Amino acid sequence: MNKAAFYDLDGTLLSCNLVTMHAYYARNDRSILRSAYQFTKVLLSVPVYFGLDLYSRALFNRFSFKAYRGMHRDRLIGLADDLFEVTLKPSIFPLAQELIDTTRDLGYRNVLVTGTLDFHIRPIALHFGIDEVICNRLEFKNHIASGKVLPPLLAENQKAKSIKEYAAEENIDLAQSCAFSDSSADVPMLSAVGHPVATNPTRRLRRIALENDWPILELRETSTKFPPFLSAVKAH
Amino acid sequence: MKSRTAWRWNPVRGEYEAGEPAPRQGTGEISAIDAFSNKTMLLLGGTGFVGKVLLAMVLDRFAELKHLIVQVRRKKNSSGEQRFYSEVLRSAPLRPIVAKMGGESAVRQKVQVVEGDLDQPLCGISAETLEQLKGRVDIVVNLAGVVDFDPPVNESVEPNVYGTRHLIDLVRQLNARLVHVSTAYVTGTKDGRISEDTPIDGYFPRRGERHNERFSVAEELIWYERFVKETYESKATNPRPVRERLREGGLKRADYWGWTNTYTYTKSMGEQLIAQASGLTYAIVRPAIVESSLRFPFPGWNEGFTTSAPLVLMGGEGVKGWPVRKDGPLEIIPVDLVAAGILIITAAVLCGKHKSVYHLASADENPIMLPRLVAFLGMNSRYKHKRKKSGNRLANVWKAYVETQVITVESLQVRRARLHRGLDVIHAVLTLGKTIFGASKVGPYLKSLRDTRRQIRTQEVTLDKFLPFMFHNSFIFETRNIREAARMLTSKDLERLQWDPESIDWADYWVNIHTKGIETWIRPVFASKRTGA
Repeated sequence: MNKAAFYDLDGTLLSCNLVTMHAYYARNDRSILRSAYQFTKVLLSVPVYFGLDLYSRALFNRFSFKAYRGMHRDRLIGLADDLFEVTLKPSIFPLAQELIDTTRDLGYRNVLVTGTLDFHIRPIALHFGIDEVICNRLEFKNHIASGKVLPPLLAENQKAKSIKEYAAEENIDLAQSCAFSDSSADVPMLSAVGHPVATNPTRRLRRIALENDWPILELRETSTKFPPFLSAVKAH
Repeated sequence: MKSRTAWRWNPVRGEYEAGEPAPRQGTGEISAIDAFSNKTMLLLGGTGFVGKVLLAMVLDRFAELKHLIVQVRRKKNSSGEQRFYSEVLRSAPLRPIVAKMGGESAVRQKVQVVEGDLDQPLCGISAETLEQLKGRVDIVVNLAGVVDFDPPVNESVEPNVYGTRHLIDLVRQLNARLVHVSTAYVTGTKDGRISEDTPIDGYFPRRGERHNERFSVAEELIWYERFVKETYESKATNPRPVRERLREGGLKRADYWGWTNTYTYTKSMGEQLIAQASGLTYAIVRPAIVESSLRFPFPGWNEGFTTSAPLVLMGGEGVKGWPVRKDGPLEIIPVDLVAAGILIITAAVLCGKHKSVYHLASADENPIMLPRLVAFLGMNSRYKHKRKKSGNRLANVWKAYVETQVITVESLQVRRARLHRGLDVIHAVLTLGKTIFGASKVGPYLKSLRDTRRQIRTQEVTLDKFLPFMFHNSFIFETRNIREAARMLTSKDLERLQWDPESIDWADYWVNIHTKGIETWIRPVFASKRTGA
């Protein structure tokens, strides 16, 4: 049987901020006037994002996908590389690449499991050298985004369900597999594998990790040590 | 990158659809695997862009083929065989296939290289080789020819018309069947849906306007011989270069009959010779604009310089105004689909269940409209110029943040005139400055201005060559025949040969495959040509 390393993206391998991503699209609209209008809209929506994030993560997600409503798919795909260079690449954590290379060298199949959208994921996956992704997709009508996500929305329990389906189809032994995430929302995914790793954990996930005796990893610090089950190659 | 999802993109409706695509099933009326089993194919033009991919596909997918004979032209000190093994087999699309087959020795068991040239009688194949080949060759696939749009007329007529005559003689001598690759643009200056059923012999695009005239290749060749002879004879009295006059003569003649350029005019004549040849079993394949590979041998392979590559490179250099039809598609088709299409047609010809003409194009089922492509060119320019370290900083900002526009030809002419007037003023000021401040101070600016003018002129010439395909005409080539041929195959054949332009996700193809393929494979060659390396 094969084994896999499942990676969450946001907060785990890099720190992407939804507001900066929307601001990028606003700045790069088709004309300077439209850019100015869109950018003002993003600025005005910042307090709403802030409030929604405090109130409900699900509502926050729904609101953030709404920001794509009316955008042409060509533009989202055509600007993806530039967006990656401008907003995502600078926010990659220092040890992220080393961790991904380590799991690959140890024979794990690297898989990104993330709520981020498919067109954003492509340059990230290419950058990290990850071949497989499970991610969200926007709904389009005649090439124009409707502001909704295609079901199932990949978050929380759905991530665990997706990796279980993936494991069944690809003959992956989940007990031998590992998963990396920063958020307590991903506890179901972390619990589904034999080697869960709380990576740059939030306070809540840190507490859960300590309770369950899961290793804790800080990719933001270059002096951090990888958990023992990954140490063979690290030492090498 | 593999993305696991239950959704698949429907490029025509522009939305995701649930579920896996239905497995491709053919009716099994013909079998490509059986058709190629124990057969010998002679391939002409295997060194070109499409030829290499076709060669790779045959070697990779049809081990059942008994022999593949590849005709290669000698070049200076390299024999055809040397060129095949050192240039063709070591090229990017062939390398992985050769390695998969087990190296050059495995190829040698399957492939025989013969030297030849389309310009020569019997395509330059020696009498001795011809004797060896007689009775052995089942099918001849011809991809050879000159694809330059506007060369001196003789450089196009010799290979594309006389070369086809030599090809017909060769096919007759070998008692084989013929698959001849032409171009969809033989249709000339026309608009709308282009049928595959239009009679070939005697065709000329301006038939509608010139009811009393008829087109005959034999008569046309008489005009050609006389024109070339007179052009050379008037060398002493006419100061203009002969090549230039031959180029103009070809373009004018093509335009007279209604063809867009010398290439399509001579290719149509080649087709007409084949259609006239009695007793010949043939199929004519007409691809549209052949572009980077979609999947095979790997996504993004490109070597075609007469494709949209010059336009993509110009877009990358920051050209903003694009004269295209707002309601028109660009008829492009990935090279690996063309190779698969040719093999499907070859199988149909071998089975005797073929049509005379096959368009290989995409817009019939899944058009990519020109304004979308103009927007992609703008986004590529944005990406490149944001990161450009050289050149004028202000110009780079303008090229990065000002979006591309769809314009008319009239507006293009106005913009050009305005630009040249501006450059004239700058030139006058610099010339005045030179007399006041001296050549050492102003000279570099004048040189820079000259370089800019040369670059602008090159861009203008390139754009003008593409106007018939982007602005003056709007084509949709009907592809009923290739779809029917693909439907006749067995399900096993369809695992090896995919004809599926209806499923191309154009945004992903153009941004992530085609543009990147051109940047990787074409730009370095253009850059080295420009620097004369």
